[in-house]
Amino acid sequence: MTSPRFPVLCHREIPSISSSWPPSIWTLDCHSITPIPQASRAFPGRLAELRAGFGMKLSWGRWSSYRGKLRKNFFVKVSASGDPVTSETDSVPNEAVGAGKGDPFNHFRGVISSLPPVVFVMKRNPGANFVIGFCIATAIFFIVGRVYAARNAMYDRPGSVADLVRRGQLRSDRRGISTPLKYEDPFNNPLVKVGKKNSTVEMCGKVYRLAPVTLTKEEETIHKRRRSRAYQWKRPTMFLKEGDTIPPDVDPDTVRWIPANHPFATTASDIDEDLAQTNVYQKHGVPFRIQAEHEALQRKLEALQREERLDKLVIDRGNAKDFERQFKFQAKSQDVEQGPPFKPSKSDFSPSPAESNSSSEEIQKS
Amino acid sequence: MLSLQLLPASPSSSSIRFSAPFNLISRTLKPHSSRTRFRTAAVPVQSVLQWNRKPQLAGETPRVVVITSGKGGVGKTTTTANVGLSLARLGFSVVAVDADVGLRNLDLLLGLENRVNYTLVEVLNGDCRLDQALVRDKRWSNFELLCISKPRSKLPIGFGGKALVWLVDSLKSRQEGCPEFILIDCPAGIDAGFITAITPANEAVLVTTPDITSLRDADRVTGLLECDGIRDIKMIVNRVRTDMIKGEDMMSVLDVQEMLGLALLGVIPEDSEVIRSTNRGYPLVLNKPPTLAGLAFEQAAWRLVEQDSMKAVMVEEEPKKRGFFSFFGG
Repeated sequence: MTSPRFPVLCHREIPSISSSWPPSIWTLDCHSITPIPQASRAFPGRLAELRAGFGMKLSWGRWSSYRGKLRKNFFVKVSASGDPVTSETDSVPNEAVGAGKGDPFNHFRGVISSLPPVVFVMKRNPGANFVIGFCIATAIFFIVGRVYAARNAMYDRPGSVADLVRRGQLRSDRRGISTPLKYEDPFNNPLVKVGKKNSTVEMCGKVYRLAPVTLTKEEETIHKRRRSRAYQWKRPTMFLKEGDTIPPDVDPDTVRWIPANHPFATTASDIDEDLAQTNVYQKHGVPFRIQAEHEALQRKLEALQREERLDKLVIDRGNAKDFERQFKFQAKSQDVEQGPPFKPSKSDFSPSPAESNSSSEEIQKS
Repeated sequence: MLSLQLLPASPSSSSIRFSAPFNLISRTLKPHSSRTRFRTAAVPVQSVLQWNRKPQLAGETPRVVVITSGKGGVGKTTTTANVGLSLARLGFSVVAVDADVGLRNLDLLLGLENRVNYTLVEVLNGDCRLDQALVRDKRWSNFELLCISKPRSKLPIGFGGKALVWLVDSLKSRQEGCPEFILIDCPAGIDAGFITAITPANEAVLVTTPDITSLRDADRVTGLLECDGIRDIKMIVNRVRTDMIKGEDMMSVLDVQEMLGLALLGVIPEDSEVIRSTNRGYPLVLNKPPTLAGLAFEQAAWRLVEQDSMKAVMVEEEPKKRGFFSFFGG
């Protein structure tokens, strides 16, 4: 059975081999992977036969191409059964009939199971090799290109993360972790390009149309006048707590009332204005409050030294060592615990700063 | 780094005038997209790029710039961090002051939260010197941060504004040189913190978003700034979405400008990387590859240096012309 769309030639007489006839033969044999022996090249009449199930039978096809001096003929043979070499010419018509008569599904399964032994035979012609290689490379390139284009088309879903990658906002390999960098040249940004007519700008791969700003000085002045009429305001210079009385020489419009429970502002200050100004202007030396606290402490110490109480503040080194040993040697401290309870006096816990520092460091090291 | 500049507008642009001034912002806050479109089409766009040069500093140093908005959450702190670091990258010495007394966040955006030991309140009290309270950024050593107070401490508001004036004076006379820029991150609202923050400033950057709530507050704040004597006010329109503008769901930048009547310092597109950069404590302008918003912040910083304003804005996205090899992903 033949299909009208695929006219089948069960047999076709092939012209005999001549100098102008096929320099190469490309045979597709569905039966086996066995390469067609050299003899097949001597029989160019075996061109191509494609036999398909479901009542379709494709047989001989021939592709010929002539290009310049190279003349090539490709012959493809696809057959479902039979010996590709010996009994091919005989068996093909019978099978073609059988295929039409038998179960098309089984036959199609047979066809599928035998797919796709491809035998590639060509005449040993270096020019032809080059052309065929070129064709294969072109085909591979085309397939890769199509796959790449399809993958790009997949990213066209609007609003996805891939969109950000395409816009250059995200790097696909490190999504969301853009590299912290130091710009090599902040004055030359290749991601911004202005169109030739200066009416478009391309930023981060997207082209934007530009429109001129049309605000004129007159319009700005009109707006300023409008605002000066609408908003009349004097900056507050006096901040008073709610409930305070306004001083007599102060414009009430310049008073700002600060509630007592204002979250971040207070009218009270423990430092006067002149001193605050001096503190801001200070460039070197110890800050005022630090120095004041230091001096206060110094005075306190001096006062204490003058009293007898200061003698008690002097460290008893023996007691201090006992205290350190408690932390250093647990065994010994346990012994101490077993013994009479160690109750250091208050003065024992107030070593000199140097001593306390060293002991704390030792504790940290241990 | 480059900036978009426009050549002097053609005479035809001057023929377009306001039909009526705004009387009340609440009545006039409507986008006039159709008129804007018409005007856009009438005036040719000519922009010139500035390639490969450092921007020329205009004005007297230190330039004390307050970054304010009125409404909260529009991107004041993000703008301060990114513009500040952009200026530092351009080679200028910058001191950023977080004047948001109650709710400071600038240190978080810059990733310096663990290095803030002293604030201006401690300086005032004499607990430390000013140079000890300035936190120098290790990435760009010409960028310093000063927080005005710790989150739970109260600022003696009686001389809060004066304290910032003293601060500016003190920075002017410091040994390593006067900083070129002092950026003050203003708190939201027009409360005592706002008054404190604007006190030393001689120019202002108003950050707004293209929505009417933000615009009303921005207009009010602009009025207060003008009453206070700050005349150099420019605006940054933040979180702009060209796709929504195209669909008439969002006011265009030109609509915003028509309502407020302020010069444009920058237009920042909505960018998902803002949240990521905040999470990381790394401002957008330091990201590689640069993001769209980061580029816009860079350009805004460029204009700030030169006291320039935008002459052309991006209005909508155009389909990119595909080349012959685009079939293969080219």
